Amino acid sequence: MASNMTASASASATQLFNMDYEEFIALLFTMRDLAITQFHRIPGSAIVTRYIKMSYQHDPARSAIELCLVIFAIRYLLAPKYSTQKKNFVKLRDDEIDELIEDWAPEPLVAPLTEFEQEQVEKTPVITGPTGPKVKLANGRTVTNLASANYFNLAGQPALAESAIATLRTYGVGPCGPPGFYGTQDVHIDCERDLAEFLGCQDCIIYAQAFSTINAVIPAFAKRGDYIVADDKCNFAIQKALQLSRSTIRWYKHNDMDDLEKVLKKIDRESRGRELTRRFIVTEALFEDGGDVADLGTIVKLKFQYKYRLILDETNSFGFVGATGRGLTELYNLPATDVDMIVGTLATAFVGGGGFCCGSKEIVHHQRISGLAYVFSAALPAMLATTVSEVIKMLRENPENFIVPLRENIKTFHAALAKTDMLTVTSSPLSPVISFTLNTKKEATVAEQDRMTQDIVDECLANGVLVTRAKRIALPAGMAKGPSWFGWDPAAAIKIHVSTGFTKKECEKAAGIIRSAVTKVVGRRR
Amino acid sequence: MPEGGPARLHSGSVSKGRRRRSSSIIYVEPPETMEQLSDQVALPNLNANWVNNKGAWLIHPICIAGLKIFYDTIPGVSQETSWTLTNITYMFATYLMFHYVQGIPFEFNSGAYDNLNMWEQMDNGDQYTPSKKFLTSMPILLFLLSTHYTHYDLTFFVVNWMALMSVIIPKLPSFHRMRVVMPWSQPIEEVEGEDPP
Repeated sequence: MASNMTASASASATQLFNMDYEEFIALLFTMRDLAITQFHRIPGSAIVTRYIKMSYQHDPARSAIELCLVIFAIRYLLAPKYSTQKKNFVKLRDDEIDELIEDWAPEPLVAPLTEFEQEQVEKTPVITGPTGPKVKLANGRTVTNLASANYFNLAGQPALAESAIATLRTYGVGPCGPPGFYGTQDVHIDCERDLAEFLGCQDCIIYAQAFSTINAVIPAFAKRGDYIVADDKCNFAIQKALQLSRSTIRWYKHNDMDDLEKVLKKIDRESRGRELTRRFIVTEALFEDGGDVADLGTIVKLKFQYKYRLILDETNSFGFVGATGRGLTELYNLPATDVDMIVGTLATAFVGGGGFCCGSKEIVHHQRISGLAYVFSAALPAMLATTVSEVIKMLRENPENFIVPLRENIKTFHAALAKTDMLTVTSSPLSPVISFTLNTKKEATVAEQDRMTQDIVDECLANGVLVTRAKRIALPAGMAKGPSWFGWDPAAAIKIHVSTGFTKKECEKAAGIIRSAVTKVVGRRR
Repeated sequence: MPEGGPARLHSGSVSKGRRRRSSSIIYVEPPETMEQLSDQVALPNLNANWVNNKGAWLIHPICIAGLKIFYDTIPGVSQETSWTLTNITYMFATYLMFHYVQGIPFEFNSGAYDNLNMWEQMDNGDQYTPSKKFLTSMPILLFLLSTHYTHYDLTFFVVNWMALMSVIIPKLPSFHRMRVVMPWSQPIEEVEGEDPP
């Protein structure tokens, strides 16, 4: 009975299963038919059906490839977005952050002054009233001023002051806008034209600040991957410009033309087969460190030979080097157009302000939108531009009134300083900034040299002569010299700024005072 | 002054990492230095950002339709050839634009993008962004269309498939910043500047 029951139960289960299976299949077919009907209702479904039917074409391999492609596309479309930028920070918990903040003791933004620096700050002479050959100090004394770059003694000239005041009345103090944005006035265009004509260039552009001129000019043209070959004694402004340019920089030994050619040859060799890049040679005309003159003749020859562009910084030579003050190109009897970019200052001999860059029309035009200091700085005050134009006019009319007496005074100083063997004049007889180094029997350390030059400056001031010395820009603490630091580390020297405002007698007297100060300080060490 | 002194890691030279091992033909662009990164973000990247602008997607179907119409108007060109030519032209143009040309035509970033092609510049190098998805699906769609209308002829299929692969493979995330060095390619080894004196 029991077994019979079991048998009948199992039979009914099979029957049930069979029935369910058939029903299930029937259900599936119904659903499929339903799906197909629904699918046909979707617009465009006929195209898809036809496409799939046609695409198979008894070619399973090709169909598989296409199917893979479609699967890839769907996967690609559904993948979530992610960043490939590597995050270089560690995720910290809140308590860790608090702990770090508690531990952190900020370093001073500026290191405390050393004793020597403090002394220099205290001793800095303060001039009251206008500058000139003789200046009045804040302590009431009147001293001979050999520390201002007032080479033609035009700083206090009444005619220039009057024209400046007249401009001030018409144009106001400053244009208060960048040159490309309402800052350009007719006097700027006149001044640019005057400078270009004076130098014999196609065009000229004025910058509002002398230091930032070269900083704008070099990065406007040189970019990553470009080559810049530079003299290794270039001044601080040029070094900053080179750094900003992001270019590949090669140095040649100071004024060593054989080394320059060697560097140019090396670049030529290693850049073969590479994309052509822009190439520049950068040099100062009259070097700030040392005061010697660049060998422009050879540099221009090499630049044409190796197809480079030449950027010449005439900051320390424009206006007084050359027979009529047109700078180094005049001295070497070269047309100014041989140099691609001549950069100079209008703040020294021209008693105005700002700087300029002369070159071809294209070179100047490019800077009007790419020279950062031109685009983003307010334009030069109008009265400075008219003053520069006036000085250029005076220089063009009778250059001998300015250049000849300046040369005479430089000569007087050179002759007077040659009387002692305790110093060596390093600057060229063309340079109105006479710089000399000290001759000590024993090699002096950098700190000792700074100490001695400072003592000489103090001694001269005590005897009524104001001179300056070369100062270095100290290496920031914790920074190694090299990779990312372009510094300014000139030789320890005394700098005498000669002016036409002195008679021969005054020059000799001042030179005598300087000489005796040198004898006293260096002699003490010997 | 050091003659051939230590490589400078400042702005001037690209980092020492940008130097190919002589034996390897695959080269992966190293990450940017701090200076390069700051130059990259100095101004918006106008070269790559336009792909996210309004209408930038629409121009692709328009261009494809234009190409198709252009090839159809040439007498003697069959439908098969016309589709294949449209496909090849589109693939070639996008390869040139997204994968071949490196850098930026504008000088806003001091050359900080010089080593990256447009695909790598897009969306700051992020993967699977909407624009990248669109620009990847476009050639796939065009390929499927062109194989369909070439009636699955094997020759046309192979030609179209190769054209498609030339634009799909460089788009893959695993090929990001990767270069295959061919005998005729320019040397990747970077020239180095020198320390200041």
